[in-house]
Amino acid sequence: MTRPRRGLGRRHFALALPSALLASGCAGRHQGTGRPGDPIVLTLLTHYSSGVLRKALQEPVDEWNATHDRVKVRTEAVEFTDLLTTFMVRQAAGQGADIIQPYCLWTGQLVRAGVLRPAPPEHAEEIRRGYSAAAVRAASAAGGVYGYPTEVQTYALYCNTRLLRAAGFGEPPRTWPELEEAAARTTRRDGYGNTLVQGFGLSVYDDSTTVGQTLALLNAAGGRFVTADGGRTALDSPAGRAVFELEHRLVARGASVPGVNVYQAFPSGQVAMVISAGWWTGSLRPLMGADYREVGVAPVPVPAAGDRHATLSTGFLLGVNAACRHPDEAWEFLRWLNADRTRVRGGATVTRMSALQAAVGSLTGRADDIRTLLGRGGDPNLRPFLDALAYAVPEPNGPGAQQAKTLLRANIEALWTGQQSVDQALRSIRRQVDREVARSW
Amino acid sequence: MVNTLAPETTAPATRRPQRTATGRDRARRRQSAVAYLFLAPALLFFAAFLVLPLGFALLLSTSRWAGFDLSDIRPVGAANFTGLFADGSTFLAPVLTNTLLFALGTVALALAGSVLVATCIDKLRLQGLWRTLYFLPMVTTVVAVGNVWKYMYEPGGLVNGVLNALGLGSVAFLQDPHTALPAVVVVQAWASAGSAVLVLTAGLKSVPGTYYEAAALDGAGAVTVFWRITLPLLRPSLLFVCVTQFLTGLQSFALITVMTKGGPGNATAVAALEMYRQAFSYGDWGTASAAAFVLFVVVLVITLGQLWLFRRRGEDT
Repeated sequence: MTRPRRGLGRRHFALALPSALLASGCAGRHQGTGRPGDPIVLTLLTHYSSGVLRKALQEPVDEWNATHDRVKVRTEAVEFTDLLTTFMVRQAAGQGADIIQPYCLWTGQLVRAGVLRPAPPEHAEEIRRGYSAAAVRAASAAGGVYGYPTEVQTYALYCNTRLLRAAGFGEPPRTWPELEEAAARTTRRDGYGNTLVQGFGLSVYDDSTTVGQTLALLNAAGGRFVTADGGRTALDSPAGRAVFELEHRLVARGASVPGVNVYQAFPSGQVAMVISAGWWTGSLRPLMGADYREVGVAPVPVPAAGDRHATLSTGFLLGVNAACRHPDEAWEFLRWLNADRTRVRGGATVTRMSALQAAVGSLTGRADDIRTLLGRGGDPNLRPFLDALAYAVPEPNGPGAQQAKTLLRANIEALWTGQQSVDQALRSIRRQVDREVARSW
Repeated sequence: MVNTLAPETTAPATRRPQRTATGRDRARRRQSAVAYLFLAPALLFFAAFLVLPLGFALLLSTSRWAGFDLSDIRPVGAANFTGLFADGSTFLAPVLTNTLLFALGTVALALAGSVLVATCIDKLRLQGLWRTLYFLPMVTTVVAVGNVWKYMYEPGGLVNGVLNALGLGSVAFLQDPHTALPAVVVVQAWASAGSAVLVLTAGLKSVPGTYYEAAALDGAGAVTVFWRITLPLLRPSLLFVCVTQFLTGLQSFALITVMTKGGPGNATAVAALEMYRQAFSYGDWGTASAAAFVLFVVVLVITLGQLWLFRRRGEDT
């Protein structure tokens, strides 16, 4: 939804100098030569900046450029950590890329700022029809669809089956009591109190290992972080309290040591179980080598036997910049990349994006495509993540979602490190997040 | 004696100086114009990179802007400033509190350490070598310093290895909210002590030897000489170190970003990091700019306070 603009006379005057400064510091956006008959050049800003990801995206882009004379696409890549900043700086300078690939968490923020262009009706219909509900919701804001979901990540329980077997568990835990028991029995320490094996990896390392895990457990308990309208937090609920109490017990009993970096400790056999997203399989396989066969993946445990499965999903979307001068061409490219089907090795027909994501050990929101691709010798550990597409709850993506997530993370860390009790953490989150979310709307 | 009978010559006398004054004015104006012409590049630089951004930040501090579209700046009055101190805001506590504690801790540690080191160096041979060694952290990138110390603080790292060898248990320095801020303060003090050592060794060189000779004749001990002669005469250097270290501490960003990202919880969240998050992560440039001006006021008040305190004791920068 676009906010009506008011008179800008004085504002324009006040901004003339900074704008001139910004504009003068930057070269003009490349849109092709503009001469009749010359091709239009669309820029695509992505975080697929290195290694297999960059190569995987470049292949279909090269294919498009080789088969389309009138519209060419040029990729520009930055590290994920610089992605939002790059959007901001380039957009403010009038240099925004034509096609952008933001994290779905930022959808509301980018829509509020007028950066993302709503998908035209035929594309919105294609997106609603072709993707899982969680993927569509992640790419939507204020009732509108704003892009094609690309990479979709669901959360599941990674287990070191060797450590579980050694502790007497033949299968991964299915419920929270089983999880607690397995975590306690797999934990080991040396004489100085240094943790040798952490039963359940709660780590303050990054958003994924703090907020991602907590929200996956919250969703599994039937809870939500924010209300359906996104206007206030819903964490201070029986489900939220149950999750915080579970995590608090795990830390208090020494089965979880938040100071340990699980991304290093799990591949080294120092963590028995941890909840993380599907992309990690792609990193663990080369890192662990032959030991990867000891890694098992199971759905996120639920509070009690018989409870319905649920987990968290996050992801990215490909959308068109509101400032793009050739939106029809940009949407056409996105349809070609994300919705047109192509034959891959073995004869199956899937979208180019599904083939791209499967090639790097990731998923798209098109479960059928991924199922087809996984059936052709893919990693069996990806199946629980694929199954989770059917029941995953998307990460909230309202205008203040990034700030709400950061505030949540700080309070979770304060809970894990004993700075706050469960009650204090829940109260503090409600107070802080409600204030920021309300401001953002 | 004045000859009162002599004819009055005031008219020509005044006319001539007028012409001279006009000529001088013209010359002065020409000189001024030339001076401004020479100054123009520097003034333009300051206008472009200091005055203009400052004005823009002031405008943003009373506006709401998401950081994307310059035409979408909406005035909100003082709401950003009041929001910083509203219930539920983390800016006053822990962010501003952490910032002050970080700066205070850094100044105290770096000052004490550098006075000690500079005094020792002053009595050693190969003083240039020692000064260079202590200055090395200053020329090392903050990212490298932060990461090396981060690994040293790890549960299996060097610091815990030493503790374990002494029979003590491990400490999760950067993961424990009670030790995280002091742990980062130590690194900042270590990294910034080099410049303080340089300034203080130079200060020590300027202390006249006659004072020490007189003290020796009076039979003063080393401690008395240090407290009664060295330290008082080092006061101008100490003031400089104190003010610059405090300013650096209050604006610290890179080291904390590398080592803790403000965590665990908000245990090491400082103002500069919060401003960066508000602007570049949350798209709330108004709050970020308001926080910047609040920090500016805090820095100004503290710096003026330091100057006043030292001037009261008869020293100047």
